[in-house]
Amino acid sequence: MRVGKHSAVRVCAVAVAGLGLAGAAASSGQVKAGAKTFVVTMQITGFEPQILTVAPGDRVTWVNKDLFPHTATADDKTFDSQGVAPTGTWTFVAGKLGTYTYTCTFHPTMRGTIKVQ
Amino acid sequence: MKLNYAALAGFLALMFGLSSAQAAGPTDPQIAAIVVTANQVDIDAAKLALSKAKSPDVKTFAQLMITDHSGVNKAATELVQKLHVTPESNPTSQSLQKGGDDNLAALKKLSGSAFDRVYVDHEVVYHQAVLDALDTTLIPSAQNAELKALLVKVRPAFVAHLEHAKHLQGELGK
Repeated sequence: MRVGKHSAVRVCAVAVAGLGLAGAAASSGQVKAGAKTFVVTMQITGFEPQILTVAPGDRVTWVNKDLFPHTATADDKTFDSQGVAPTGTWTFVAGKLGTYTYTCTFHPTMRGTIKVQ
Repeated sequence: MKLNYAALAGFLALMFGLSSAQAAGPTDPQIAAIVVTANQVDIDAAKLALSKAKSPDVKTFAQLMITDHSGVNKAATELVQKLHVTPESNPTSQSLQKGGDDNLAALKKLSGSAFDRVYVDHEVVYHQAVLDALDTTLIPSAQNAELKALLVKVRPAFVAHLEHAKHLQGELGK
């Protein structure tokens, strides 16, 4: 199990990395002027909000509010936070349009959806 | 080896029931000791499972138990230090430790699929017993608000672990 304690600095780095991945597939995935940042909390009871709709270029930041690690892992592997430590965060910059269902690989009952439209 | 689930469930219920039998319920220092011990015995069993389990799914579950219960114990330890509470050994925590030791001793004699079944069966009973204890004894008895909040916060993890263990139990039984 790989667990990363993501600091604020790390979040920026991950966001840039995510931008690179998304940007490789399309021009979307880049942080645009006026882009919004959305927060999704990770708890074993589930992701909150469970369903989130964003626009390309928006940031989605997952915040682990639990006492143990969680992941936000897209079923199609478009994004994968890997282990986010307690109190840690991980940010993904939305890229290609689509509906992405995701789960915590450690706790599969945790499921969420990101709609990029 | 066929496990006597009813006897095991009864034993675990008795262990936790010892506290509820006390007139005023367990004190916060006693609750702290119960929480830490309950998590530690499950971590110890999981560490054994990591080395002995046959099924990859059981190994994955065992790793999850180590990670999650270690996280809970870290939070519990930090909280009691902050509150200047010294965990106080009590009949319930001592029985939990003995139950954990007995479980380890039984598991060490097993291997392969038999180990997987007994380990997972015990996990189902253990997590149900802890949930029952949280609901009937530990949460109602906790006096400090932060300690009570911690117990409430960890409860969903035990629910998820119980469901996970039951799922594994079903898979192993096929």
